[in-house]
Amino acid sequence: MAAFRWGAWAWLAIVMLLKRDELLRPELALVVVGLAFAWTVAATVLVSRAPEMLETPAALLTELAIAALLGIAGGIVYEQATTASEAFSSTRTIGFAWPLVGIISAGIVWGGWGGALAGVGVALPRWFAPIVNGITFADYESQHWFSLMSTTLLYALVGSVAGYMSTLLKRAERDLAAARAREDIARTLHDGVLQTLAVIERRADDPDLARLAREQDRELREFLFGAGPTADRGGAADVGPRLRAAAARFEDAFHGTADVVLAPDLPHLDATRADALAGAVGEALVNAGKHGGAERVTVYAEPDDDGFVYCTIRDNGRGFDPETLTEGIGLSRSIRGRMEEVGGRMEIESRPGAGTEVRLWLP
Amino acid sequence: MAAVRVVLADDHSIWRSGVRTDLGEGFWVVGEASDADEAIEVIKREKPDLVVCDLHMPNGGGIRVVKECGENTVVVMLTVSEQERDLLEAVAAGARGYLVKSTPGPDLRAALLRAANGEPVFSPHLASLVLGEFRRMSKEATGTNPLSEREREVLQHVARGYSYKDIGERLFISPKTVENHVRNILSKLHLNRKQELIRYAVEHGIE
Repeated sequence: MAAFRWGAWAWLAIVMLLKRDELLRPELALVVVGLAFAWTVAATVLVSRAPEMLETPAALLTELAIAALLGIAGGIVYEQATTASEAFSSTRTIGFAWPLVGIISAGIVWGGWGGALAGVGVALPRWFAPIVNGITFADYESQHWFSLMSTTLLYALVGSVAGYMSTLLKRAERDLAAARAREDIARTLHDGVLQTLAVIERRADDPDLARLAREQDRELREFLFGAGPTADRGGAADVGPRLRAAAARFEDAFHGTADVVLAPDLPHLDATRADALAGAVGEALVNAGKHGGAERVTVYAEPDDDGFVYCTIRDNGRGFDPETLTEGIGLSRSIRGRMEEVGGRMEIESRPGAGTEVRLWLP
Repeated sequence: MAAVRVVLADDHSIWRSGVRTDLGEGFWVVGEASDADEAIEVIKREKPDLVVCDLHMPNGGGIRVVKECGENTVVVMLTVSEQERDLLEAVAAGARGYLVKSTPGPDLRAALLRAANGEPVFSPHLASLVLGEFRRMSKEATGTNPLSEREREVLQHVARGYSYKDIGERLFISPKTVENHVRNILSKLHLNRKQELIRYAVEHGIE
């Protein structure tokens, strides 16, 4: 930015130097060019010494004021024009580029709308410069209006784009900082609390204590690695937290263990289907605990070759004969219903003494 | 059978003493280490039958230990979480499997005995990670999955929670054959990782 300011100022000075003979009021031209120079120097010093000062309203307004002044001065310093074309000739402006820096700065600090407003504010004096130069509005021709319009639009656009980009960047920076903080916390908790919880879980003779440790372990892990800010995005839901919640309910109710194993490339589902899947899994888990007396259940989900999500709930319970047992029929009807509502299907495999596996497919 | 000679590596001494108690008879702890440097030194000196190694340790962690010693020694990773990103990295580097630290004592003992006998210690989580990794490879590289249909089937059964014995019964093969499939899968993973590294090096002009 500092380099751009200098470049723009140098161009401004050269143009003034070349056209010094056409100037009606060279001393005034010298003043505005001097002002621009003074601010360019001041900004350069501030950038290295106290960059935050450049973002204060006072600094921004100063720069914008000088930029606006350049616009109106274009009408004063030159010889009086007799025709509109003369007044509008591109040789009669001072510094088209220099004001851009102020507008961009305003956009960065005040956001898209602030930047656009600053652009319009800086462009406005240019509408009146020809008037000062001895022309009336009535003399303006259509191409002049068009040129003023496009300058204003360009300035406003520059301001708003700068604002938009900087808002995006700031948000990305914030997200990054949050992710870093989370990682830091994760590392600390990981080396301390999770290790300790694992010791308790392993060595506790009291099953209730062990279960409590497992529960805390799971909750902490969910916080650390699970539902981050990216979990639910754009309507697509992460099924992980839902399935783990269902597993936790099983463990609380039946004092067994339920492992949730998710493929690393499991796609996100929309909320309706994620809820249907979690509901079906939850029901299968309840049945595993209630009717099967299962102590260990593995819930597994992966994307399959046909673009389906394939999910299995396998338990080590008593198992049953699906043909004869009414429980089996009721269970499969209810889970099948949930799956069919979202266009999925289910299959059940069980044998007395060999546990049960419920298999689900979701499009 | 002679006692299995074990090296324990973990930067938490409470863990080492805990595991040592759980191991009990049949194991002989010949060395302990609290970081990767120490572990590599002890392993090279003692040439144990089995190394039980924490994934996260100072000076490079379990991954470095596996990279240095995994070719000649059976290394089993102990981790606190199944969701760790570098778990797959450790297994691809040559670890014979991993166990979660919350595994109850008797289970831990049984699994380590099996590992010492050359059986890969595969949990459903690991199977799922490996399956995902092969899907990624087949999408990115050649377009063909390096796993055979049978191997994929075995791995998927592990992920679904079946034991080698269950899988053997379901697929009408012996548990030993299941185990062989798993071992082949591991070496394919190992090989593919190496090839990927070489391809990367060639593409990026590293001599």
